[in-house]
Amino acid sequence: MGADSAGRGVIRRAVAGQRRDVTVGSVLGACHQIGEALVPVLIGLIVDRAVVRPDGGALAIWLVVLAVVYTLLSFGFRFGARAGERAAEQAAHQLRLDVVRRVLAPHGGAEAGRPPGALVNVATEDARRVGAVNMALTLGIAAVVGVVAGAVLLLRASLPLGLLVLIGAPVLMALGHFLARPLEHRSEAEQEQAAHASGVAADLVAGVRVLKGLRAERAAVDRYRATSQASRDANVRAARAAALQTGLMLTLTGSFIALVALVGGRLVLSDSIGLGALVSAVGLALFLPGPISVLAWVGAELAKGRASAARIADVLAAPGETTGGTAEPAAPAPGELRLNGLGHAGLDALDLTVRPGEHLGIVVTDPADAATLLHCLARRCDPERGSVELDGVPLTELAPAALRSALLVAEHDAQLFDGTLLENVTAAAPDGSDPRAAMDAAAVDEVASALAGGTGGRIGERGSSLSGGQRQRVALARALAADRGVLVVHDPTTAVDAATEARIAAGIRRARTGRTTVLVTSSPALLAATDRVVLVDGGTITAEAPHEDLVRDHPVYRTAVLT
Amino acid sequence: MTTDSPTPDTGPELLPIATTARTRAALRTLIRPDRGLALTGIGILVAATAVGLLVQPLLGRIVDIVADGRPAGDLTLPVVLLVAVAVVQGLTTTLGLTRIARLGETVLARLRERFVERALNLPADRLERAGAGDLTARVTGDVARVAEAVRSALPEMARSVLAIVLTLGALALLDVRFLLAALLAVPVQLLTARWYVRRALTLYADQRVANGAQQQQLLETIGGAVTVRGHRLEEQHTERSAGRSRKAVDLTMRSVNLVLGFYGRLHIAEYIGLAAVLIAGFWLVRDGAVSIGTATAAALYFHSLFGPVNAALVLLDDAQSAAAGLARLVGVTDLAEQPEPAAGEPAAGKAEAGKAAPASVPRQRIASSEAAVTVRAVSHAYGPGRPVLHEVSLTLEPGEHVALVGTSGAGKSTLARIVAGVQQPTSGSVTAPAGTGSAAAGVGEHPVVLVTQEVHVFTGTLAEDLRLARPDASDADLRTALATVHALEWAEALPEGLATVVGEGGHRLDPARAQQLALARLVLADPALAVLDEATAEAGSAGARVLERSAEAALAGRTALVVAHRLTQAVAADRVVVLEAGRVVESGPHDELRDADGPYAALWHAWSGSRTTAPHP
Repeated sequence: MGADSAGRGVIRRAVAGQRRDVTVGSVLGACHQIGEALVPVLIGLIVDRAVVRPDGGALAIWLVVLAVVYTLLSFGFRFGARAGERAAEQAAHQLRLDVVRRVLAPHGGAEAGRPPGALVNVATEDARRVGAVNMALTLGIAAVVGVVAGAVLLLRASLPLGLLVLIGAPVLMALGHFLARPLEHRSEAEQEQAAHASGVAADLVAGVRVLKGLRAERAAVDRYRATSQASRDANVRAARAAALQTGLMLTLTGSFIALVALVGGRLVLSDSIGLGALVSAVGLALFLPGPISVLAWVGAELAKGRASAARIADVLAAPGETTGGTAEPAAPAPGELRLNGLGHAGLDALDLTVRPGEHLGIVVTDPADAATLLHCLARRCDPERGSVELDGVPLTELAPAALRSALLVAEHDAQLFDGTLLENVTAAAPDGSDPRAAMDAAAVDEVASALAGGTGGRIGERGSSLSGGQRQRVALARALAADRGVLVVHDPTTAVDAATEARIAAGIRRARTGRTTVLVTSSPALLAATDRVVLVDGGTITAEAPHEDLVRDHPVYRTAVLT
Repeated sequence: MTTDSPTPDTGPELLPIATTARTRAALRTLIRPDRGLALTGIGILVAATAVGLLVQPLLGRIVDIVADGRPAGDLTLPVVLLVAVAVVQGLTTTLGLTRIARLGETVLARLRERFVERALNLPADRLERAGAGDLTARVTGDVARVAEAVRSALPEMARSVLAIVLTLGALALLDVRFLLAALLAVPVQLLTARWYVRRALTLYADQRVANGAQQQQLLETIGGAVTVRGHRLEEQHTERSAGRSRKAVDLTMRSVNLVLGFYGRLHIAEYIGLAAVLIAGFWLVRDGAVSIGTATAAALYFHSLFGPVNAALVLLDDAQSAAAGLARLVGVTDLAEQPEPAAGEPAAGKAEAGKAAPASVPRQRIASSEAAVTVRAVSHAYGPGRPVLHEVSLTLEPGEHVALVGTSGAGKSTLARIVAGVQQPTSGSVTAPAGTGSAAAGVGEHPVVLVTQEVHVFTGTLAEDLRLARPDASDADLRTALATVHALEWAEALPEGLATVVGEGGHRLDPARAQQLALARLVLADPALAVLDEATAEAGSAGARVLERSAEAALAGRTALVVAHRLTQAVAADRVVVLEAGRVVESGPHDELRDADGPYAALWHAWSGSRTTAPHP
């Protein structure tokens, strides 16, 4: 209910934002429809005035009139449709950016319950459908004018014949629609099943390496063949339904024309109307289903637009992960991070102070607890109990965006973006800073030398042309180059070989000298390079000492990092 | 700032595209089994169109009757005939369209099945050179484009062309001079079509690229929203998204303008033709050559041509784009199917094993002396000047677990792929457990299975995913396999257990679970030799430990080669082989190598983060 009215608001804004183009499109579209209605009438008139009793002068005059009508309808169509399409595209573009802005808003929350594919669909397909409401509106207004114009022309020619066509045409359309409805429903279901087949094919191809490793090519082909055949059958059934609908409409329209011809012929014979009126009526009977079916289409488009608008409104109004917080952290931040009795999900009463400039390792035995801790530090959630403070200010009082300018949480699955290697490394770096130290520290130089084009080489969407370990190194270099007062890194080297990992451990130490750095990891190489390690086991801190000491003295720790 | 052209020096070696002649030939081959359907379908549509052309003369006849002032009863016959025409036309059109659709769908299914079969059987190195993107683009974009053409363009095109040809014929039957008048519109239409198609092809291709770029940008930005916010890249990404969207909008408007210009020109052609037919009618009636009804019928014929002509011309670029898509599909289906037996593996044995009736459970591993691997002097290079392996020799005893360690780029993955038989070495040979020699030994039909860090959860139910490894596995087999890799508990806790839909669009499995699934598939495939290439890398460090336990269980009783970067895997292995710059530099049990002063000891100390020897648990 709420989403519905919010959806209407989205549509209203989409239309109002483009009202000039919508108006122009409607007016010019109406000109086109009137022109189309006049053409069959003019054919009738020309036969009546110039052919029945051949009259060259009249023919010439009427052909000029026909030319004028053609010019009107052609220009009306061309510039009307252009305005309508522009209104549709512009509105969709605006909505697309609204969705992107909402998703990227610092307090987040738009992704909750929506996989990325679904959100992208909202930004593309739903935005397009709401935009298309503008086009549907112009065409709908023009079609109404077309129907009215046809009606006026018919009624002027002959009242009874006009009424017959005017009442008959919509009845005909309604009848066709009514008879076709069960078919349409069925065909939609069939098409959905058919779309599934192409998804299966793409999925198998995407997993081709896995299939090859498994020697399961044959099983996959067999499975695809079964899906493809089911899809073929579904499509044939859908096509049969569509063909039946086409045939049905042909029969109905043809019979209706016969009826108009019969009634019109009798009227001419009883001298009620002229011959031209009969020809015009037949022509208009052929024309009217056009704009009427446009109106039916407009109705369907508006329904789709409403559903899409509700989805967009839902995303735009999604609650944030956190609320409030407007303060700016101290700049430059000294970088003291303190947990005061932090409790959230599996974490309980964590007390910890990370001194400015300290390099701290945190080993969390439960991956879920590690994720919770990172969320709390990045202010992706506000803790249920206790608090997290940066330089004495609780994170809940800080604006999330401003917080992240001072404290960067580099998540394990941080994503890379299409562009060059260098662009990725420097994406978050201060303007004019030198990325070489960060690249050296994260052993990205090796990645660059293996990449065609070196640091200027493109890494593909989400870094797809790099291996897992290479992606991790680039992401780490980006986090180091960002040069934040506090850096929290989560498992940055899980896909990196042991020798490189040791090099990276020393690199992080070097690149972050004197700056607060927290490594949430169970990699012994990284932990050995920290000043102090905290062990979080069962949601609470159970040990706190340098790595070497813990390895020597603490069996739980040893199990956690060395086996 | 960003462009979409691939970097030229890394440009993948795309798969071939068929020539026009080859595409045509392939199309004929595809249609041949259904020739009868094609002929009857088109025949019925011709009949339907021909019957429909009786409408205008019948209307002309009515005009003549009223123009001559004949009795109203004379109207009955043509009106009844009009209704009859409508009924027959409706029926035959339904029948014809259904047949054409069945033909189109059958041929399409045949084509896409052949494509998928060929695609999945491409040699691995060919696949790597082409990049998965090319295949994916073909299997989604091109198949969809051809399907779209088959579903909407083909029937409409068939009806339109038939309507045009037969209507022109009917005009000639009324009086050949009507046909000549109507043909005055043709030069304008031809010029318009040429003008349009020339521009449309490149413009639509650009538009597709721009839409793809927009989609990709949105996927990156939205999919990486956490990273974007965390790194304060919001502005950058909003700008990028706006730029890509703006470009797509601009190109859409350009193609809209093109289509509208196209219609504008067609309106001119319509006017020329219509005026000419009316003038011809005027002359012919004046000279007494035709009746008023005939002149009316001619004008109505021409008016009724507008729809089909516009439809046919607009469909030209659909047809062209479908033809381009078809050529890209045929390019792949035409690739000669190359069987790629693992080196030293008798091809006949493989084929036999594939056809052999699957052995029934329970399957027990019999560690026969055949289940060993011998790698002899294997060298490999990914192209001249890019050597990866140098004369590597290696033997795996039956049931032995060997861990392969070394720095990135040492050639571990290449060696793993060669041992798994997925990649052919440039020189040297690999003797793998050859189809296990006797299927009677109860060993699975696949001698070698490779599991890499690339996880892919196939769309469908969890059970279907697993059955890719062994199609005839019972539910109990699936549960046993899941239990083996410690995945049964979470699998049964899924909303619908093993019937839960997973993969793209289904229930999302985290990387660790997805990898456990891959290991369960390995258990089901039940190979004598298993090759694991960093199969535990994608999970976080805590997840990796869980996965290592799963992997250990999956490998029990098999000969195994494990590419390891977490050295805990090396500790658990029977033997460790250290690869450096494509050469084996050390080989032996973990304890021995750790205490020696070699490359492995250095690796171990770096990894365990201590210069002193770690205490033994």
